[in-house]
Amino acid sequence: VLRSLVRKLRGILVRRSMIYAMSALLAASAAWAASSPTTAPGETSKSDLSGYWELAVDSRQVPAAKLSPNVTPADIASHAEGDEHAIRWCNLLGLPWQMDSGRPLSIRQGRHEVLIVSEVQELTPRHLYLDRSKHIGSADFDASTVGDSIAHWEADTLVADSVGFSGTRGITQIPGGGYRTENSHLVERFRLAEQGAVLNVTSTWTDQGVFAVPHTYQYRYYRLPETYEPPPAADCNPYDEERTRFLARKPASDKVSHAQ
Amino acid sequence: MRSKVTAAMTLAALASSALSQGQETKAAPQTPASSRIEGDWVREDVNGSGSFEGLDGGIARAQLTPAGESARAAMKRRTLAPLSGVPHKAGEAYVVVDQPCYLPIFFGGALGVNPDSAAIHIVESKFQVVIVPERQGYRVIHVDGRSQPDSTHLTPSNSGYGVGHYDQGTLVSDTVGLKAGPVPGGGWRTPETHLTERFEVSADGQHLTIHYTYSDPKIYLSPHSYQYTFERLRAGSYALEDWCDASDPKERNSVVPQAQQ
Repeated sequence: VLRSLVRKLRGILVRRSMIYAMSALLAASAAWAASSPTTAPGETSKSDLSGYWELAVDSRQVPAAKLSPNVTPADIASHAEGDEHAIRWCNLLGLPWQMDSGRPLSIRQGRHEVLIVSEVQELTPRHLYLDRSKHIGSADFDASTVGDSIAHWEADTLVADSVGFSGTRGITQIPGGGYRTENSHLVERFRLAEQGAVLNVTSTWTDQGVFAVPHTYQYRYYRLPETYEPPPAADCNPYDEERTRFLARKPASDKVSHAQ
Repeated sequence: MRSKVTAAMTLAALASSALSQGQETKAAPQTPASSRIEGDWVREDVNGSGSFEGLDGGIARAQLTPAGESARAAMKRRTLAPLSGVPHKAGEAYVVVDQPCYLPIFFGGALGVNPDSAAIHIVESKFQVVIVPERQGYRVIHVDGRSQPDSTHLTPSNSGYGVGHYDQGTLVSDTVGLKAGPVPGGGWRTPETHLTERFEVSADGQHLTIHYTYSDPKIYLSPHSYQYTFERLRAGSYALEDWCDASDPKERNSVVPQAQQ
């Protein structure tokens, strides 16, 4: 009986040791997946955001924006019209739509910048520069749909700061309400969670002419396997007449109709 | 009993060590510290040609097989339209682009393969080197140790499917799956053509030379090679956004020449 007990105890201890060992291996593996291969000059990168990331149906926490009393319905309508124009003519669409375009993002972290590319033809890649701490002056920077972005690490969070936006080009409407202008200031905080399987991105837009208080919302991206192969971007052809007719089609009625 | 527990822990430690070693050599590619291709680059006119056409003027002509000659000739027949030959008056705008802002030949990171006069921006990251031309799209070179996929799983694109590795700090890549089309120096390519590139940075880090070699026995009598040289943009440079609105009538027209004084 004693020998039998000893054998059982040995078996339990060996199994537990193996479980601990496997747990340690898994933890090491997860830590490696989230680790950074390089350190940017003058920066300490605690994480590597590189990977393919996608939003799912449960990925968005977007409260209603508190708009400035200066914002009129005509302002909102004007920006909505501008957005329709951008879509119709296959213009570059820019931020904030770029971060929720319906297709996965590829984020690639280098020594000097973090690059965010999209599978959409009308989106220009975003460059978050790690190697400078000041924005390009407005005299030298051509306002764009993605602005000028500089970034730094705060512990394991990448903080990106963007200004220099165009107020008229691309899709300007901001999730939750409001729109991008040339005075917009965007701060994004990128942080890995769940052992690198999730990327939380908190976006805060500040613009006194548009928001009564800074407008913050959060996206939660899920990591795709590195073996994921992005399909070719869909062709946006502004000279496609059938597409143009489709976009110009207005709903026949505001009322919802139900089939009998 | 203790020895078995110890053995199990040792096994775990060895496995962990092996994992770590494996990451270094296979699973976790590292950008060599000596690699300096990341950054912002613009092509140099090394021949002093002073023109877009002249940039490729120094490239030795490709030696094509009859099939290669035939493919290239067919492309010329499709694309060459007769010029009107009518001079335009000073101040007279005229249509030079029928469908401005819509250039499928640039889609899919084409200019990440053979950049034009616009800058390119290169990021070296874990698993991938990404080349971003300013005009359109981006190009990926996988550096995670993968091989070329089976051609039946490849969708041909303007930047193809690139895999690469570092050879003493120099990025060496192999690309297939390129859409059929012309190659500088009178060459031609198909999805089966292999493009080998070496990305070499000068000792002072200020110049990048990309050595191109196209190999395809169906197209070339011998591999077709040439090189492009780039200058590193100064610190603080940034990627320009190539804005173009197809609804703007000015996008169709020439630059209106000023009246001569």
